[in-house]
Amino acid sequence: MHRVTWIVLAFLALAGTARAQAPADSVERARALHAINRLTFGARPGDVDRVTAMGVDAFIAEQLQPESITDAALERRLRTFTVLRTDQAELAGLLRAARRERRERQMADTAGASMLERARRGDQGSNVRALRRLVAEFQQAPVVRAVLSERQLYEVMVDFWTNHFNVFLAKGPIRALLPAYIEQTIRPHALGRFDELLTATARSPAMLVYLDNAQSVAPGAVPPQLERMRSRRAQARAGRRPQAGSARERADSMLRRLEERMPRGLNENYARELLELHTLGVDGGYTQDDVVGVARILTGWSVRGIDRAPEFAFHEWAHDTGSKTVLGIDFAAGRGMDEGVELLQLLAAHPSTRRHVSRKLCTRFVNDRPPAGCVDAAVDAWERTGGDVREVVAAILRSPEFWASEQRDAKLKTPFEFVASAVRAVGGEPDTTPILAQVIGRLGQPLFLQPAPTGYPETQEAWVNSGALLQRANVALALAAGRLPGVRVTLGRILPPSSTVQELVAAVNQELLGGRASHGTIRVLTAEAERTIRHADARMLVVGLALGSPEFQRQ
Amino acid sequence: MCRHGLARRVFVKAGGLALLSFGVDPIFLTRAAFALKRGDRSAVRKKTLVCIFQRGAVDGLSMIVPHGDPHYYRERPRIAVPRPGAQDGAIDLDGHFGLHPALASLEPLYRAGTLAVVHAVGSPDPTRSHFDAQDYMETGTPGVKSTADGWLNRYLTHSLEHRDTPFRGVAIGPSLPRALRGPAPGLAIESLQSFGLGGRGAGRDRITAAFEELYAGAATELVAASSEQAFEAVRMLKQVNPAAYAPAHGAQYPGSPFGRAMRQIAQLIKSELGLEIAFADVGGWDTHVNQGGAAGQLAARLTDFGTTLAAFARDLGERLGDVVVLSMSEFGRTVAENGSRGTDHGRATAMMVLGGPTRGGRIAGRWPTLDPAARFEGRDLAVTTDFRDLFGEVLVRHLGAVNLGAVFPGHRSDVSRWVGVMRG
Repeated sequence: MHRVTWIVLAFLALAGTARAQAPADSVERARALHAINRLTFGARPGDVDRVTAMGVDAFIAEQLQPESITDAALERRLRTFTVLRTDQAELAGLLRAARRERRERQMADTAGASMLERARRGDQGSNVRALRRLVAEFQQAPVVRAVLSERQLYEVMVDFWTNHFNVFLAKGPIRALLPAYIEQTIRPHALGRFDELLTATARSPAMLVYLDNAQSVAPGAVPPQLERMRSRRAQARAGRRPQAGSARERADSMLRRLEERMPRGLNENYARELLELHTLGVDGGYTQDDVVGVARILTGWSVRGIDRAPEFAFHEWAHDTGSKTVLGIDFAAGRGMDEGVELLQLLAAHPSTRRHVSRKLCTRFVNDRPPAGCVDAAVDAWERTGGDVREVVAAILRSPEFWASEQRDAKLKTPFEFVASAVRAVGGEPDTTPILAQVIGRLGQPLFLQPAPTGYPETQEAWVNSGALLQRANVALALAAGRLPGVRVTLGRILPPSSTVQELVAAVNQELLGGRASHGTIRVLTAEAERTIRHADARMLVVGLALGSPEFQRQ
Repeated sequence: MCRHGLARRVFVKAGGLALLSFGVDPIFLTRAAFALKRGDRSAVRKKTLVCIFQRGAVDGLSMIVPHGDPHYYRERPRIAVPRPGAQDGAIDLDGHFGLHPALASLEPLYRAGTLAVVHAVGSPDPTRSHFDAQDYMETGTPGVKSTADGWLNRYLTHSLEHRDTPFRGVAIGPSLPRALRGPAPGLAIESLQSFGLGGRGAGRDRITAAFEELYAGAATELVAASSEQAFEAVRMLKQVNPAAYAPAHGAQYPGSPFGRAMRQIAQLIKSELGLEIAFADVGGWDTHVNQGGAAGQLAARLTDFGTTLAAFARDLGERLGDVVVLSMSEFGRTVAENGSRGTDHGRATAMMVLGGPTRGGRIAGRWPTLDPAARFEGRDLAVTTDFRDLFGEVLVRHLGAVNLGAVFPGHRSDVSRWVGVMRG
């Protein structure tokens, strides 16, 4: 929409309210709304007034310094999340117990009930249920943070990096590794330095398992415990250590299992995604030989104690001791883990990485087709500050392209953004009940459950389809009617009883749609309200329609 | 697709002139014209491919039992399905292979030539991770992780037709599977009855009308196109009245999730809503522990699987002439049983092709034997048919796909590698 049209519309909407505003103020309000739309998970009632009053630039400066913002309400709510007080070793233990429990039940079961059916019957052990509850709680945590946090830009950046460095909850032991990954790997660096974030992910058990680097070893390398076991078996077979038949059988089968599970050679998976997705980008100028070089350098970056107290470990025995070349740079042989540390610095500082990640940030903050000017501004800031994410984001938010009138409402909300913004718009209070996370999943973006390392797309094509739009409308109606368990919504608090339908519609337009409802939308909301007898019902219906309207799908 | 939707809307509302001024590709004009004439329901009768994903890696060796291969019995002393003729033995198909007795309901379909089996089919990528292998099978690009869209979506994208309806690609379930994700629109439907907006009766109609008006007025390009499709789907489904559906010919679907999914797919097919690709999941195949032989866990899963497919075939009747059901699973399981009376992750498995256009009554694909020397890594059933060759043959011969290169990038489609499960 053109700036002029936009302002005119804002005027029309405002005309219905008691507040008469000067043109200068309405320009500032429009800027405030745009800033709120892009820096936060959506406006709460009164936010536009508040940001207009404090000044848009002051608001942005504040959001760029989250440590200066108190966040008491969120902290109180987060204290009710058991999963956030459960450490990784405890989760690993629970996962181990849950697996044992499942196995025992399977042993006892001849009817062949699938896991799904057993879950429906409630035929599951207490550890399985406890683990499932904690995982569901953890999926709900980002939604609660997005809705309640005052540090909105920070939460937006956490979401961005969580997606950029995607891991998949349902792969193997990752459900026990994910909370530490988000809390200790992603969150501390969300507005920090890119090289530190990159290194943290490279050392994280979750990423090492997700993209198989934990399994990547120099060809021919044999883990010491397997070596020991082999020689012990060889001695036993040679009769130097007599063994009872059953003990021999057991030892043989254990050796067989170890042999089968032993990693065999290089796994290029992480190396490839590190270059293609995390750093240089697909057109970043690397070759298949570079992928192999990276994989060889990272052999030995693995995880120890996966079942007990998972942590990063560098396995000397697994490391490829030859010399390597990546992107034309030679890595001298035999320097163990230092090679990888240097490599990550090289990648973090590479011009292709700057451009690739800056472009993606601009796609998130500005437009699905990011304008060159703001990408350049981000790249400059990156170069100037050596990859200080806070400065890069600040540069994007300062760029004229970010403020260009055609960027207003140019982004379609992802399901996560839609749900979080709808709950914020009605002043909803979510608790630990994982219902909102489930709703987001149904809308097509189950949290932490994107199997592909690409993460979820930042562009609208992925999110607009006919089924999803109907689902959004349903979510909007359910939320307005207070029918989503675990979210307290009191419409009376944000929309006091109005005396006429026009007043009601004007207030909904103002508070929920930022005053940008189209004539058509105003007409439909008015007609539906007029057909409804009770005021509370009319309010519920108008709010539901507004949250499901095309205007509310954009930001 | 989005542009098509926009074009149609503008065309309907403002006439052809608006199209020119928007500079819209002329193909969409033809599509718009076709779309306007819909109403003749025979116009959207389509050939349909139903894909069933057996998630968890089904044990192909006990589903379609190689009872003529002595290694099968040697390696599975406690969980083998007995030889044909023995009590609870396999149902012999061709002297070498037999159906698991829990699949007895499929025997008549095999004898009638509407069911074919492809054995030793799988992925060229040797991963034994469920996650990776499912991903590769659904993207159709084994070994390539970054593929964004699924093979079924690429098929839909590269064979646009004038008469596409919102129901062209449908998955039964809460969300679209990876195979159907991508630029071409796809619908995920949990239940036909509750598809659309919540509520019931007049209240529901009123809300639907209100939302439709909201979107007709204000939406921008892509959102407008999708919402128009959405409301069109709701309208089409309402005419069909899914609540009143009764399966034909006395077909009885099990009450399981898979039974319910296939019942709804049959319903969609018979409603002539333009369904071309349907997708359903069936789980519970990851039988590491206590798999069982002729009875037990695997047998219970197969009973559900077989009776559902048999009910589906019976329900469709002559309509099965336009339908092919293709089962798939990410990999097979070890030839040898493990220490827990189960099987671990292996390589090749068996897939089924059911339907009128099938050249059935045969076990297709080259059988590599279970001889340890012929196994993959001395352990697992080797892959002799690349799953892309099977899927490709079905797409070309059943749906008339013309551009397999676009559906399976990086894979040279070569008719000589097709196993010949389709007639024509």
